[in-house]
Amino acid sequence: MVVLSVAPAAADSDLVDSVAEQSAPQPPLLEGRGLTRVFQMGDAEVAALRGISFKIELGENVAIIGPSGSGKSTLLHILGLLDRPTDGQYLFAGVDTDDLDDDRLASLRNRAIGFIFQSFNLVSGESALDNVAAPLVYAGVKRKERSDRARDALVRVGLADRLHHDPSQLSGGQRQRVAIARALVTRPALILADEPTGNLDSHSSGEVFSLLEELQAEGLTLVTITHDQRIANRATRILRVEDGLLTEGDREAPAYLDHAERTRP
Amino acid sequence: MSYAEALRLALRRLRTNPLRTFLTTLGVIIGVGSLVALIGVGQGTQTALTSRIAGLGTNLLSITAGGSVSGGIRGAAGTASTLTIADANAIAKLPGISAVAPEMSVSSAVIVDGRQNTTTSMTGTTAAEALVRNYQIQTGTFLTDLAVSKGLRVAILGPTTVANLNLSPAEVVGTNVTINGIPFTVIGVTQPKGGSGFSNPDDFVFTPISAVQSRFTGAASLRTIGVSVTDPNKIDVVSSEITSLLRLRHQLASSTSSDFSMASQNQLLSVASSTSATLKNFLIGIAAIALLVGGIGIANTMLVSVRERVREIGTRKAIGARRRDIGRQFLVEAIIVTLGGAVIGVLIGMAVTGPVGNAVSVPAKPSLAGIGLAFGSALVVGVVAGYWPARQAARLDPVEALRYE
Repeated sequence: MVVLSVAPAAADSDLVDSVAEQSAPQPPLLEGRGLTRVFQMGDAEVAALRGISFKIELGENVAIIGPSGSGKSTLLHILGLLDRPTDGQYLFAGVDTDDLDDDRLASLRNRAIGFIFQSFNLVSGESALDNVAAPLVYAGVKRKERSDRARDALVRVGLADRLHHDPSQLSGGQRQRVAIARALVTRPALILADEPTGNLDSHSSGEVFSLLEELQAEGLTLVTITHDQRIANRATRILRVEDGLLTEGDREAPAYLDHAERTRP
Repeated sequence: MSYAEALRLALRRLRTNPLRTFLTTLGVIIGVGSLVALIGVGQGTQTALTSRIAGLGTNLLSITAGGSVSGGIRGAAGTASTLTIADANAIAKLPGISAVAPEMSVSSAVIVDGRQNTTTSMTGTTAAEALVRNYQIQTGTFLTDLAVSKGLRVAILGPTTVANLNLSPAEVVGTNVTINGIPFTVIGVTQPKGGSGFSNPDDFVFTPISAVQSRFTGAASLRTIGVSVTDPNKIDVVSSEITSLLRLRHQLASSTSSDFSMASQNQLLSVASSTSATLKNFLIGIAAIALLVGGIGIANTMLVSVRERVREIGTRKAIGARRRDIGRQFLVEAIIVTLGGAVIGVLIGMAVTGPVGNAVSVPAKPSLAGIGLAFGSALVVGVVAGYWPARQAARLDPVEALRYE
């Protein structure tokens, strides 16, 4: 198995270097210590997360499951460095993210995290190639290399013949594969998928999951947020969020799992 | 994200909705176009006025009878008969003066040539008039000293007057006409000075002052005396000497105000140029308002655009865009729309300056300064109009933006 470094190829940022250095004794990729997140709703304070701790190692395939309103979206935003905890520590590759300013967080999102959204979030009016290359623009990669890497990523997800299509010309499954290519293109350590198959039919869902699992098998860390136990069962580890608290969940093995699922290591 | 990347992104974005891009740009096109055209017309007006006033005579001091006080009411300039031919002769003897033209006027003179007739103003004067008021002869001759001393019934016509008689300058010389019923022979036509409409400088008839005095007015009083000074730099000295001389001749006590007034060409020029500068600023003001409205249009479209693209902004933040990357994207977009509009506006403005000038009888042409000003203000408008929407976009919370429906 290839272990991907957190640092992408173009590691010109001190931050990414330091993240890479500190990963020498291999701290967990993600670590939460007593995370709380409180929202101010008018006069009332609502606690979405009430002190949760966890460790996710590099290369894991983790599903975070919970009903809507459980706090799993809030957890996703914190994991993805889009939001900060009200209290507690969130360490990314051993680095306390509280020490990082917004620009550094943006840079870390850019280089170390690939996001996959339920509604794909592609920019219409821009070709698949431009959509996939977008993170590389913010990484400061030169145009030629951007286009090469974006093309490679699209080939990797099986869309070699859709490079110049507008998202509106693609099916749901194809759009999500473009989004996966966009998440992959910076060679991140972590893929954060938020209900990645929520808007797809079962056939496309199967394709997308197979693709994500292949990538995970190649060394990427995959964290999937879902409310669907069947999807969660495909992960090697399940974390359950309920009422703002986190518990290690059980892998239930429903009878309908197919052969490939059952024979997975 | 570099500015080059922001530029590429903005161009791609603007191309996806060409109609909206065009409509957004339209305000700036109109604003910049009218700025260029109106500055051209304003400058044309200024140039035309200045050259017309300069054309009235260089080194000119104009003395007008008037300022007489009767019963505490000051009469209008030119109404009192305080200036005489003798005054003019006395002024001519002062140093620093090259020519003096006494001017006796008949405000309504009907010229009849066979079946054609026209009404103009008649001025009785001397041969010095040509020098003092800067007239060039087109055909024939100007008034001669002989004609003036003999009181010959000869006339010099302005080109417009000739045209009003439906004659050409060549055929009018030598013809006999009547002026207010008295026969005169036309001996010359002057070169046109240009201009039209109110107070046309080419519509007049000059006759020897002696003829006017004996045939029309019967009095020796003059409306004006035109004085040409030798050195324009000494015009103030000369004018104060003339004032002293005339006050002495008119036996005015030092406490009494003068019964004449004097204006130099320079004063006229400065009045005219300040008037036309006011006009120009007024025109620029109107165009600037048009440009401002165009800028508001851009700001509005950009704000709508930010609203429409909240999710895109959230996504871009998630994949690593920093605040300044997002801000730059929207700012560059606003500036491109504005500058694109400015380029088209300048071209249109340059194209219409001439025709607009023609419509108001002003020789207008687009000026480099006007184009520069229009372009510069468009850039400012673009930055200002883009700044607020760009800031809003940059400051969006990524979590909120991603959740936005």
